[in-house]
Amino acid sequence: MAVILQKQRIVLRFEDTVLTTDPSGRSVSDELNLEVFGGDLFLIRLARSEQASTFADACAGLIQPLRGAVYFLGRNWQELPPDLANALRGRIGSVFTAGNWINHLSLMENILLPQLYHTHRSTGRIRDEAGELAERFGLPGVPLGLPGDFTPADLQRAACVRAFLGRPSLVLLQEPTIGIGSEIVSPLIQAIRNARDRGAAVIWLTRESVIWNDATIPVTHRYRLVARKLVEVTM
Amino acid sequence: MNNDWSMQSEVIGKSNVLRKMGRLLGTIGLWAIDLWRQPVQFLSDALAVVWQSCRPVTWRRPTRSEFMRQCYLAGTRALPFIVVSGIFVGFGIVAQALHWLKVFGGTALFGGFLSVVLVREIAPVLVGLILIGRSGSVILAELGTMKAEGQVHMLDAQGIDPFLYLVVPRVLALSISMFCLTVAFVAVALMAGFVSGTLLGLTKFTFLDFIHRALGSMGRQEYLSIAAKTLTIGFAVGLIACKEALALSGSAVDVLDILPRSFAKSVLATLVISVVLTILL
Repeated sequence: MAVILQKQRIVLRFEDTVLTTDPSGRSVSDELNLEVFGGDLFLIRLARSEQASTFADACAGLIQPLRGAVYFLGRNWQELPPDLANALRGRIGSVFTAGNWINHLSLMENILLPQLYHTHRSTGRIRDEAGELAERFGLPGVPLGLPGDFTPADLQRAACVRAFLGRPSLVLLQEPTIGIGSEIVSPLIQAIRNARDRGAAVIWLTRESVIWNDATIPVTHRYRLVARKLVEVTM
Repeated sequence: MNNDWSMQSEVIGKSNVLRKMGRLLGTIGLWAIDLWRQPVQFLSDALAVVWQSCRPVTWRRPTRSEFMRQCYLAGTRALPFIVVSGIFVGFGIVAQALHWLKVFGGTALFGGFLSVVLVREIAPVLVGLILIGRSGSVILAELGTMKAEGQVHMLDAQGIDPFLYLVVPRVLALSISMFCLTVAFVAVALMAGFVSGTLLGLTKFTFLDFIHRALGSMGRQEYLSIAAKTLTIGFAVGLIACKEALALSGSAVDVLDILPRSFAKSVLATLVISVVLTILL
């Protein structure tokens, strides 16, 4: 039986990247070298939530590295014109640690916003896909109320719906279990498997030991941020 | 040897003077740059809004929805207040005009007086002040809170340009709303003036005669003036509110600190635009 191995593309690449969040240019990391292929699930353990935001911003090209480069789908973020960079960010689905929701839009409008902005897909089709994802994450449908009307657990479910909506090439999960706990892990794993089967890469950033030690999560690479270095861990 | 030392002191003295002069020139230069920085930045942001609003790619579905929402909030929701204000101004200014022009035998000047005073000068400034208080401050609070809570950063991370999604629709909505509200204000003020003038026995004009005198004296210049002033004032008020809010770097509480500054800037911009366009037109 011939087995055809499809070489997955590199979705994200850090090349000798030194990160900074300081206007004075003080570095917050040593040199990072990382290659994330389609189908990978990277589980990265961090000590502080600010590290998750910094790393996620670097993946999305929102931080100019002090040195080195970050490539997404083969394109260097720093060399892209703003319009193209924004269009590429439309291919990234994210769960954020803060500022997840625009308060004056309904939760449904928040969830559909990136797809409505970046694509020409009909609103009905996007809403239907969001409805299916919402049910998988334990919501009765796409929520219609304002973000302030929902519990943190429901908001986190909705954040996961938005992150996986529209077949993104990269999914950045910044502590997706905060505020909801382990009940979201099972649907999250299923959504991650579906995304990986389509060739997407997933990066899960966490501080929780429970997630780090969970053997049911189909992790392909584990890293810890230790003293400004990303160190691969084999378990 | 004494000569060498005295020459050296002279050279050191001269270089100290030159250094001080250089620092003074640098201070003057920085002051001059700071003086012009804000107006130049404002102008470049205004040009960016105009340019981006002319590009079809700017008007994606969420941006169009946001624009409609802002038109509703700034325009439709403000209409009742504008109508009430127009009634009071009508009673006040139009009735006064009828009375005093009759006293001084200048009833023939009624139309011209109204078109100059009410339509060209009072209406744009008054509606501008109402817009600042009613819509400018709301935009400032809304966007300032979004900035402070990280929602603007979230938009960036999703590839949604905050300038195109938040600023452009708000500025244009305020501009168009300002024009429409001013037209409504003038219409209501004239009606109220006619009603009050008739009830107080200040005028024996028929309604059609009254409207003919009021509007008949308005020429191309008046129509151009009202369009230019209202669109520009609305544009400036929207842009100032958006810029101040998105420049916020602190917490949501700091929004209260920037409210008075933004209000003052918007009022100043309204008065300056009104005066400048009066002179030009």
